[in-house]
Amino acid sequence: MTERTGFLYPFLDDAVDDPAALLDDLARSAAGKWAESLELRASSLEDLEGALTGAALALAVRVAAGGRVLVFGNGGSATDAEAFAQNCLDASPRPIPALCLASEPAVLTALANDIGVDAIFARQVAAHGRGHDVVVAFSTSGGSTNVLAALDRARALGLETVGIVGYGGGAMQAHVDHCLAVRSDSVHRIQEAQTAIAEALIAAASQHVQNLEGDR
Amino acid sequence: MNPGAPGDALASASLALARSFHGGATLWCWSPTWPSHADHVAVEFVHPVIVGKPALPSVAVRSREAADRLRSAALSGDVVVVIGDGGDLAIADVVQRAPAWGVESIWLAFGHPPPGDTGAHVVWLGADAGQADVVCAYHLLWELTHVCLEHPGVLEVGPTGDTISCPACMDAGDLGEIQSLGCANDTDAAVMVGGLTQPVDLSLVGSCEPGDLIVVHAGVALTKLAVSVHD
Repeated sequence: MTERTGFLYPFLDDAVDDPAALLDDLARSAAGKWAESLELRASSLEDLEGALTGAALALAVRVAAGGRVLVFGNGGSATDAEAFAQNCLDASPRPIPALCLASEPAVLTALANDIGVDAIFARQVAAHGRGHDVVVAFSTSGGSTNVLAALDRARALGLETVGIVGYGGGAMQAHVDHCLAVRSDSVHRIQEAQTAIAEALIAAASQHVQNLEGDR
Repeated sequence: MNPGAPGDALASASLALARSFHGGATLWCWSPTWPSHADHVAVEFVHPVIVGKPALPSVAVRSREAADRLRSAALSGDVVVVIGDGGDLAIADVVQRAPAWGVESIWLAFGHPPPGDTGAHVVWLGADAGQADVVCAYHLLWELTHVCLEHPGVLEVGPTGDTISCPACMDAGDLGEIQSLGCANDTDAAVMVGGLTQPVDLSLVGSCEPGDLIVVHAGVALTKLAVSVHD
């Protein structure tokens, strides 16, 4: 038996076999969720204005001093981390050096096989982390044990830590210097808001790095 | 300015995708501008966020040369979801060729408007759509597809009669992509039609090259089609 999506679609009868009626209901539902997503992105950016400014400045100070961004997450958050790294490299006016620790199947499978999944990211932070680096962690729940372990390792090494997280921050709040938390408990809506937050963070940080370098 | 919520287009694309999964399809995901989004779509389908939902076969295509990958790896009945600018000629080319491989296309398009008659299920996200809009669109595609799969009454479809017409004589035919020339004689070619390679007589259409698209009827090429040009 699979869990049904019925709770998401109380207006749908399981016995429906008229495609037109189903399409009508689905289109209406999609439009509602699209609007919900736009609203959550806008309210998250507004709520996090101060935290975003702080995180962008801290990130920029590190990068201007020669640091890089190490970014990671599990599953869909791994792909969000990869997008974050690409967006850093493409950032304007000043590209930000970034590595995605979730994009290396050889390293990930070696760690999972030889040590265990909790070593994924923490071991890479230990290998890559240098004085001025910044760690950016993506998690929707805020509770992934390997992500929290990697953040703890980063802090022990003296790296700056940023969390982009859902569920109001979850356990991650206690493991990062800058917590950018979305107040939602829908994984999909959280990821959409995280994408908007990441774009805002990178745009602001890129500008700050350029300004810091110009002041020298 | 964005066109508002693409609810109708997402609903139609989701129903088509659910019907294909029901028939055994694999979903291929390609996002040439932002490759990580193809991986994100694949993980949504293979390892659903809602515990207990069925795992569905989905693979990210990481290469910029998606045509070569899909032609050899996709099977007839598969689907490709493409995330990219509506003005991307490499995408237009893949979408145009896909029926010859037996592959249906869904195009989550932003930036420039996509060409009119692509044969794909186009979900237009707007000229200014950003990555968060793209993520929202494929999350909804995933969700609506699962809703459709829970309604078996809408999943069975008869023969689609998916033919195209020769622009000159209006005879009906199928899209074919020439794989190689001269397998039997000078006017013969190996042509992929609906995912199967078959010999086709080219004598009515003149000189052709591998990669050319033709309209095929009863083993004869009726006409050669213009293809999207890209580098």
